[in-house]
Amino acid sequence: MKKLIFLLSSILFVALYSHIQAQDISQVVAQCAAAADAVYLKDYVVNLDASTPGGAPNQARFALMLSKNTKYRFSICPAPNSEGEPILQLYDMNVMVGSTFIEATGKDFHMFDFNCQKSAIYHIFISFKEGKAGEAVGVLSFVKRL
Amino acid sequence: MIKKVIYVLLAMILIASCKSGGDKADSLDLDDSDIVRGELEVSGEVMQDIIQSVSSPVEMAALVKGLGVEFSNKYLAPTDDVDELTTSFQKAYHLGIYGADLGYLNMYNKTANVIDYISAIKTLADGIRVGQFFDFTTLKRLAQSSQNLDSLMYLSVHSFNQMDQYLRDNNRSNLSALMVIGVWVEGQYLATQVAKEAPHPDLAERIGEQKIILEKLILIVKNFAKNKQFENLLTELNKIYELYKDIEITIIPGEPEPREENGMLIFVQNEESVVKITDEQLNTIIKTTEEVRNKLINM
Repeated sequence: MKKLIFLLSSILFVALYSHIQAQDISQVVAQCAAAADAVYLKDYVVNLDASTPGGAPNQARFALMLSKNTKYRFSICPAPNSEGEPILQLYDMNVMVGSTFIEATGKDFHMFDFNCQKSAIYHIFISFKEGKAGEAVGVLSFVKRL
Repeated sequence: MIKKVIYVLLAMILIASCKSGGDKADSLDLDDSDIVRGELEVSGEVMQDIIQSVSSPVEMAALVKGLGVEFSNKYLAPTDDVDELTTSFQKAYHLGIYGADLGYLNMYNKTANVIDYISAIKTLADGIRVGQFFDFTTLKRLAQSSQNLDSLMYLSVHSFNQMDQYLRDNNRSNLSALMVIGVWVEGQYLATQVAKEAPHPDLAERIGEQKIILEKLILIVKNFAKNKQFENLLTELNKIYELYKDIEITIIPGEPEPREENGMLIFVQNEESVVKITDEQLNTIIKTTEEVRNKLINM
């Protein structure tokens, strides 16, 4: 009987925890979108495990269509309990055309603007520094027509 | 005593499961037999990429507003017959249509008209069991108060994104595809109607560049074309796509240039796309888009 109570308690805990987590990440999306101070278009929620030692860092990839003569804003916000610090990079084919982390200076930004001059399908990559585990939200916003 | 504890725990689990999933509508046995999953010609990953990459419902509206074009009700799809949309196919497709129209209304802060559209979206979303992601009460309150318009815009678009994501995560990409195709067709209709009445080179270029995404959407629809309704949809979309075949998109190469202005990081893209579209091509696309959109809306 005690086992049954333990089992039911565990299920209850998992159910409530999932609900709270879902609420948490929704709040992060809302806060991240508000901080961007532009017209929200899309969000990208990532939850990555730590990378294996010596291996390539885990990353999430998302495709998106961007249009010419448009200024877009890309924001990245970590979830409150995220272990790793997130990085958002924008790629056009194999060329990086934007990033929240500038490797040359070691400087981090929570967002960057992208003055798009080429209509195409791009890719966003979100990863965590040093291959750590983490949870974060990337937000794409529309700033203005150029 | 132990029995009471078990009853309490069971009751709490029941309550928690109702709250956490928000999937109560999903437990309904809705007949999706009118939708077949089809034998996929493109992988699930590619399909996800394509669906995900379609522009947000508000982007075309943002361009139109940015050009200084006045708002007009005539670009909107009517919501009167929403209760007559009975199949999952119709519901998902019209969700996309109304999602795009809602984006247009929100972009112009036309809150008085918003209620009709959020009501229609809620009805359709419930019909395909994604209504739990559409916070009708809050959206209605925001629209009625005509305050917090940023919140109204955010919540509308975010709800739409969540519905799309949920469908893709739950192996219902066919419905997700229909939603984004609805968004695309209505966005294309808005752009072409505005181009007809207030021509602008930026609009012509934006219409021309739709070739990039339309060829991807056609790929998706082909996946499900064993189903009669998808086959009809493919036929209609192909009427537009045929007109794009001679439109050229060329690239002028260039390197991206990062700069920092007032603490803000900006990447300026120096590579440029150039769309070559003649007036004749544009006019044919305008005419055909109108025909196809009006036919699909009544399909």
